[in-house]
Amino acid sequence: MNFKIRAASKEDCKDISRMIMELAVYEKMPDQVKISHEELQRDGFCQNPFFQCLVAEVPEEQKSKEGFTVVGYALYFYTYSTWKGPTVFLEDLYVMPEFRGKGIGKGLLSKVAEVAKKKQCVRLQLSVLDWNTPSRDFYAAKGAQDLTVTEGWHFIRFDGQNLDNLANEAPKD
Amino acid sequence: MDYKLRKAEPKDVSDILRLVKELAKYEEMEHQVTLTEKELLEDGFGDTPFYHCVIAETQGESSRDDPRVVGFAMYYFTYDPWVGKQLYLEEFYVMDECRGLGIGSEILRHLSDLAMKTRCTGMMFVVAENNEPSLQFYKRRGAEDLSQEEGWRLFRFDKDSLVKMATPAEE
Repeated sequence: MNFKIRAASKEDCKDISRMIMELAVYEKMPDQVKISHEELQRDGFCQNPFFQCLVAEVPEEQKSKEGFTVVGYALYFYTYSTWKGPTVFLEDLYVMPEFRGKGIGKGLLSKVAEVAKKKQCVRLQLSVLDWNTPSRDFYAAKGAQDLTVTEGWHFIRFDGQNLDNLANEAPKD
Repeated sequence: MDYKLRKAEPKDVSDILRLVKELAKYEEMEHQVTLTEKELLEDGFGDTPFYHCVIAETQGESSRDDPRVVGFAMYYFTYDPWVGKQLYLEEFYVMDECRGLGIGSEILRHLSDLAMKTRCTGMMFVVAENNEPSLQFYKRRGAEDLSQEEGWRLFRFDKDSLVKMATPAEE
């Protein structure tokens, strides 16, 4: 199968938004998707973008059943480790089910690693759901370590009303 | 003890590195800090900063004393494709001798306020599961442990794996 990996453009946001929803369905959390392609466009293609995106594209003759030629994406941004310096965080990596097993996922991941190297990043981090064995195996095969297992790190979040409350008061310890 | 919160400046990098190492020691991973003051300076105060920093500074016992940097928080903006901008809290630390005075709470309040003002829908960070005091501090204030509640695990590729992946294989 012919495919090419390129930087996303503003015009790709509808496709990216479609695939974000497909990935959320796979992760069993589709009701958590609250933003549309318009916000993605605003946040990813402004002067100081909040994320970067790569897309995988197939030629017209190999388009999907529904007629899509953009069949995979990788969404990432730069973070910072006070121990080691600049890092890339791979937020989303997804390939449509009918295009799997053809090296597109590996291609996207390698391209992100290449970008990381060029920007002198020393690490690539991501998060995976504990039940998502295919993904955990995919990353482990490429040399990733599960830091939640080896070092006990847990992801924590404040959002919605809790963030609001925190902003409005300084509670006593 | 009087203290004030302010934005970090280039002159603060040596204090920032000192506190980074103190926090790493508390997390029992001090030997993992390889960053230098020079890198902190370039990465935080260059053309494209990778991070932002807020400092807690005390005035000292008398007006003749130099102010002391006793706490800091380092953060940057990340992106959740489901809900948009997030404020990511990378480091958050108050020196042992200055705890219990509300400095940590005030830093967290300041950051939450900043998150709301910059249109972030959440504030995220990681905590080691054996760090009970920190886990309780955050849970008391309404934080969710996503690793426990949704099963998210943090993965990392280090430099060697990164280099291997970046070099295209013969397919």
